Amino acid sequence: MTPVIETEGVAKHFRRAWSRRVVRAVDGVSLRVDPGVAYGLLGPNGSGKTTFVKLLLAAVWPTAGKTSLFGQDSRLPAARQAVGYLPENHRFPTYNTGFQMLDFYAALSGMGETERRRRAGELLELVGLADWADVRIGKYSKGMLQRLGLAQAMMHRPRLLILDEPTDGVDPVGRRQIRDILGALRRDGVTIFLNSHLLVEVELFCDEVAIISRGQVALSGRLAEMTAGSGYVVSAAGAGEGVRDQLRQQGARVAANNGVVDFHFADRAGVNQAIDALRESGAEIERVARQHSTLEDVFVRVVSQVAVTPAKEAD
Amino acid sequence: MGAVQMLALVRDTFRESLARKIFWGFLGCSTALILFFSLALNIDLVEGAMAAVTIFGQDVAHGQLADVQLIVKRILGAVAAFLFTAGLFLSIFASAGLIPTVFEPGRIELLLSKPVSRTRLLLGRYLGTLAVIGANMFYLVAGVWLVLGAKTHIWDPNFLLAAALALFAFAVILAVVLAVAVTSGSAVLATMVSYFFVLMSPLLAQHERLAPLFRRQWARDVMKWLYYAFPKVFDLGNMARLALEGKAFTTWMPVWSSALFAGLMLAAGLWAFARKDY
Repeated sequence: MTPVIETEGVAKHFRRAWSRRVVRAVDGVSLRVDPGVAYGLLGPNGSGKTTFVKLLLAAVWPTAGKTSLFGQDSRLPAARQAVGYLPENHRFPTYNTGFQMLDFYAALSGMGETERRRRAGELLELVGLADWADVRIGKYSKGMLQRLGLAQAMMHRPRLLILDEPTDGVDPVGRRQIRDILGALRRDGVTIFLNSHLLVEVELFCDEVAIISRGQVALSGRLAEMTAGSGYVVSAAGAGEGVRDQLRQQGARVAANNGVVDFHFADRAGVNQAIDALRESGAEIERVARQHSTLEDVFVRVVSQVAVTPAKEAD
Repeated sequence: MGAVQMLALVRDTFRESLARKIFWGFLGCSTALILFFSLALNIDLVEGAMAAVTIFGQDVAHGQLADVQLIVKRILGAVAAFLFTAGLFLSIFASAGLIPTVFEPGRIELLLSKPVSRTRLLLGRYLGTLAVIGANMFYLVAGVWLVLGAKTHIWDPNFLLAAALALFAFAVILAVVLAVAVTSGSAVLATMVSYFFVLMSPLLAQHERLAPLFRRQWARDVMKWLYYAFPKVFDLGNMARLALEGKAFTTWMPVWSSALFAGLMLAAGLWAFARKDY
């Protein structure tokens, strides 16, 4: 199966003007995104996410390594034929109306005029901007521009959508609408590459994730595996101080909330001992569950680990 | 697909020139000039010869001009001179803003993400700008030509050749705008460098006369080489004048050497654009 996106040790180093110092914005990133996957690229500000996306789209040239889209060198225009892109901090020319803007970018993708007209009308309807089709986009709000930008990226029916902070400036209803649209595209087999710092959004939407920090992939893989269990929790009502102390001594982390006490254990043996002890003490067990990390937990842990290593600037 | 993309880029440049009032500014100036000739200029003909020429009712011929042919040539010459001086300066000023806007962050990334080569992207913008200025030049030239033709029944085709030379001179200078805009990203610098070439042109055209003023031979050689290397806007203007006077060109060197210069500038601009990170 040909990957939709594949990079091999791709790097982008910027040399500062009047200086021999080199900034390694992207430093040997290797990624593979298979067809139909929703892939999230995460990273703190300045970690190299946007530069990586620009490398994929040949807006910047790699210092080293390879990038390919649908098996073709991404520097070739033909490789970008089936790619739709919504940039972060876009500046769509404000002299165009919504319709003209869609028409222009679709023409650059090689679409014929009749098809462009039909598709633009269809997408303006989909993103809720049909009534604004003939209004200059200088009058659009930030949220409307994001929705129009998404329509622009979808005009030529791409098989890969690269979205850089797609819900930036969009209200909650608009965010939900965008997620629904992207969900429908996924069901149609479109690969979605989402560059976002909104972890909740990535967690809701993506199958696979890469966390990039200081220009390198710090962690990548299936989201479900990343956030999978790292311990157990037993919740009980009416657990007195005695049993709490007893379980603390057995290694439990204890947290009380509104009369319910959570006992966190690293392994299953601790859970079984806790259940016995709680029953003996007359406490009511409310819940026994395997613990899951949130993506935020994973992100913070990974980024913190990378942060202790020296900065990647070289003379 | 290439034609669809090119057409889209040209149309987008047109749209931007309309929105930024560049097109309308040119159109206004051209219309004023056409109206001037159609309303203010009055030529009375008697049996094919000029009886009187008045502007705003004032006799301007003073009986010195022998026939209508001559005054028409002078008027066409004045329009051609306008195109090579004020017209060229205005065109550079207007177009210098149209090319660097493409490189604005947030706009260029999206353009580069499309399946269009960088060469096509830049050439599309170049041709679009040329089309904006060319359309205005055509409007002015055709308007004046029609007005004068209708008034005098003289249809001098050489005027169209003179206008074509003016458009060619602009195309050469626009290549400079493009190269400087790509490398520097600055509309102001692109304008300044373009004006420099235009202003140097009449000076360098006099290199043979000016050479004796330089004591050192190398300085004379530099001036001569600069003359051959730089675009010859002044010489192209002279060729337009010769065309209007119905005289044959003594040399085509200003045309081919300027075309060569434009080609090199375009190649340099495209080369820089193809390698630049955005």
